[in-house]
Amino acid sequence: MIDQKRSIRVLLVDDEADFRQPLAKRLTKRGLAVAQAGGGREALAYIQNNPVDVVILDVKMPEMSGLDVLQRIKAEHPAIEVVLLTGQASAQDGVDGMKAGAFDYLTKPVELEQLAGKVRQAFDKIVRREEQAREAEFRAKMEQRMIAAERLASLGTMATGVAHEINNPLAIISEAAGWLKGRVAKDEGLPPQLKDNFSLALGKIESSVERAKRITHQLLSFARKTDSMIQECDVKELLGEVVELTRKAADEAKAAMTIESRTETKIWTDPYQLRQVFVNLVSNALQAVEPGGWVRLITGEAGEEMVITVQDNGSGIPKENLDRIFEPFFSTKPPGKGTGLGLSVSRGLVEKLGGRIEVESRLGEGSSFRVFLTRKPLKTPDLSEAAVGP
Amino acid sequence: MVKIPINILLVDDERDFVEMLALRLEDAGQRVRPAYSGGEALDRLAEREADVVILDIKMPGMDGIETLKAIKAKYPLVEVILLTGHGTVETAVEGLKSGAYDYVLKPADFPDLLSKLEGARRRKAEQEERIRQAEAKALVRRTGEI
Repeated sequence: MIDQKRSIRVLLVDDEADFRQPLAKRLTKRGLAVAQAGGGREALAYIQNNPVDVVILDVKMPEMSGLDVLQRIKAEHPAIEVVLLTGQASAQDGVDGMKAGAFDYLTKPVELEQLAGKVRQAFDKIVRREEQAREAEFRAKMEQRMIAAERLASLGTMATGVAHEINNPLAIISEAAGWLKGRVAKDEGLPPQLKDNFSLALGKIESSVERAKRITHQLLSFARKTDSMIQECDVKELLGEVVELTRKAADEAKAAMTIESRTETKIWTDPYQLRQVFVNLVSNALQAVEPGGWVRLITGEAGEEMVITVQDNGSGIPKENLDRIFEPFFSTKPPGKGTGLGLSVSRGLVEKLGGRIEVESRLGEGSSFRVFLTRKPLKTPDLSEAAVGP
Repeated sequence: MVKIPINILLVDDERDFVEMLALRLEDAGQRVRPAYSGGEALDRLAEREADVVILDIKMPGMDGIETLKAIKAKYPLVEVILLTGHGTVETAVEGLKSGAYDYVLKPADFPDLLSKLEGARRRKAEQEERIRQAEAKALVRRTGEI
């Protein structure tokens, strides 16, 4: 970023030391920070290693012509502005130079006032350009953020609509399959093999409807408003229920679950929503651990808040996914295993209960999800605005 | 024991759903009449009362809640079970306040629906029994006065 108040860094390039040195002195007196170079190569080497805003460049130099130096500067340091100095008889050089990207040219002998003015104009151009770049960058970032927010919002609206529309045909499929299943079970005339296969196929239809229903209901729980019940409850008991509810999954994963609780665990909250959050977190943890692994539920205190940690020694979450795991529909599980909504719904629930979720994870070592909750509702809970889990 | 069928009026604008659920309920031993709108439901009840009305909340025209209120105003003893999509649970709660017996989420869990139907019928029977007893008491009191 350019500080407009700092002195302008100028590199004065001319092969005639008798001309160059006094000019440099006089420009320095005008408040410019002037460096000097006696030739094109020296100038390019200086620019390579030192910051320069404006180059004052003599066109007629023996070793390397000013126009060549200009081209090199513009190619390698496009941000630097160049003011050319030309001989009286070679105004064409100045025009060529401007076509090649020079800011302007002055004919020798130069008037100091005029040169200093040109350098300032060139510097103003640099400042303007940087400001524009910054503004463009800022605008691009904001636009990106807005696009992301809008996409999430419209995704939510669309998802809710789709879920509603899908629930009706699902209900029809479910009733039709259920009826057939009952009929097949009662039918004595069917060959046993066929009867088994019918039952199997109908069972698959039912379990697929169940799977689709889980998704639609979870989608709807995004937008759903319902009456939330804030009451005093004991988190330790609630965690016990969570362990019971997920015991089947824990047995399948051959994982040990423990509750560690030595702190006060009474809290004012909505136990149903909170239980949903921990069921989600524990289910995820159980899916991450290897057989013989563990999931710990730990209650603790963090100042005025209660913090409940769900810790596992599972596979961990890659860094690149950590930012995304709370996004709706983000899932690393195979199709049918996860809706990609568990964590985003959980975070929504916790935030509506006035808390927050934090996550820490190391690949190969495990993950910790920390849920921070205030012990007492800060205000009368707005019942109509609270969301609920499926 | 002989199972006494529940007289059900099944109301939903989705014909396919009504047909399939009706088949299933009939196989489970219930007696089902279909209706495909709130207005039709009231017409069917005018022909003959039902024990329980299964009523979809989201219907074009006269919606479930309006229909519920009309049913409860005219036939206070008829029990109503609301069918709702997940997103309309607040509406279901409003329905309960307007006198519905209970609600089920679509797609419905069938055993759950059956047990709610039984519960609704029981409540209706109990209410009718109380009314009978009250009438009997009133009759006794009147007779006593004579």
